[in-house]
Amino acid sequence: MSRPPEQLRVLDFGRVSPLRSQTLWHAVSYGLSATRQPTLSFVRPDAPYVCVGYHRSMAEVDLAACAAAGWPVYRRMVGGGPVWLDDGQLFFQITLPADAVSAFRTQALRDLLTPAVTAFQAAGVDAVLDDALEIVVGDRKICGHGAGQIEDAVVVCGNLIQRFDHRAATTALRLPSQQLREDVERLMRRYVQATPVQAPTFTQAAVTAYGQALGLAPVEGELTPFERQVVDELDAQFTDPDWLAGPARAERPAAQVKVRSGVWLFEAERAGTRAVVSVVDGRIERARLIDPQLNGSTAAAERALLGQSLPAAGQVLAGYGPAGRRLSDVLALADRRGSL
Amino acid sequence: MSVEEAAYAEVDGYRVAVERSYDPDTHVWACVLAPDRVRIGMDPLGVETSGTLAQLSFLPLGTPLRRGQSFGGLEAAKFVGPLTSPLTGVLTACNEAVLNNPGLPEVDPYEEGWLVELAPTAMDTELAMLVSGSDIVPWFTQRLADYRLKGVIAQ
Repeated sequence: MSRPPEQLRVLDFGRVSPLRSQTLWHAVSYGLSATRQPTLSFVRPDAPYVCVGYHRSMAEVDLAACAAAGWPVYRRMVGGGPVWLDDGQLFFQITLPADAVSAFRTQALRDLLTPAVTAFQAAGVDAVLDDALEIVVGDRKICGHGAGQIEDAVVVCGNLIQRFDHRAATTALRLPSQQLREDVERLMRRYVQATPVQAPTFTQAAVTAYGQALGLAPVEGELTPFERQVVDELDAQFTDPDWLAGPARAERPAAQVKVRSGVWLFEAERAGTRAVVSVVDGRIERARLIDPQLNGSTAAAERALLGQSLPAAGQVLAGYGPAGRRLSDVLALADRRGSL
Repeated sequence: MSVEEAAYAEVDGYRVAVERSYDPDTHVWACVLAPDRVRIGMDPLGVETSGTLAQLSFLPLGTPLRRGQSFGGLEAAKFVGPLTSPLTGVLTACNEAVLNNPGLPEVDPYEEGWLVELAPTAMDTELAMLVSGSDIVPWFTQRLADYRLKGVIAQ
């Protein structure tokens, strides 16, 4: 007999393998399509690994570095970029029937991330949900999130980052130059922050906050036999090379990394002209330029770009002759959606 | 009025194609190009309420689809969701341009930003389930008002 829908099933999977830290909650989404049982789940990986968002390319991951470090790489069914996970992060997932969630994605995200913010606040963290739907303290991101519809279920995932290894998170990324790698790590340290809250404090607060927000009574539960069967099937799917490869996509003309919404970096190169640029809230905060004919003007051009928007940067570089125009063309290779 | 202008109606700032059929639940349109060829895309409200499109993906060509089944995925605001077919048929083409530039449906949802084509197998009965003809403008007008009231799109 199925549970009454006014209950919020709470599942704490504890510490599990990297693979199971993905497949367990994905199985809940498949199970919900049958039972319609709203579920809040928690899981902590017992070892480091890397996970790529559904649409993203494995070319964004330094697979050799991951293999050398012993980090497996998986692809999830929800959105976002490649991320590095370890036992310093506690993951939560709220899974609901799709027809119980706003049909408008941003509203659904706001509705389902707000209780997490309440939980952070109850745990003593001065967290807010900003306009870009990031959970932040000040301008620092403290919680990664992703969301998706899996069959008839909507799932929103996030994490309590108790400790974060910015160096490891950067190592997992395939980046074309050491300059870009240094800048990614620098901005990650600046804009991604751990909050050393005790896990039981956060989980209890999250159970209370999600129960109240959804009008559901939290009840400890367990996986159904069907969900257990799906876990086994997903274990196979998530290690299948075809699944890991992901959907077909176009190659990006520039290497891009998003640190948090509005903070992103890119490196683009064409015929010996190269730019490594970091952007914060729409303005260039650092630029490194290379062109054989820029000669002694490199430092001046880099300084001139600081504080400029990307569209304005092209006009600024036009004042540096043919080399400036080539650099302007290189900057145009960046996809400003990379900041979203 | 030119033939091209007659194919569109203006609804409170939105350009709405009137020679298409719309799934009112998903804001996906269907345009019959030939008896065995239907083009599919998102309407302006579907695009706007999705948020800024970051990624699109489509199932392999040749995939059989039932009405209501996913023909691909859409990612906006790190939220991955299905793109739902308004008709039953077989996937025969996809728009490579929108894979390379997911922003195209935001700029031109009806022409450059089309998504896929399929060979329909139950078109006569299923097209009747969609909003078409003189029903399009009243439906779009009402839906626009509903969404503005809910605050999910700008005034």
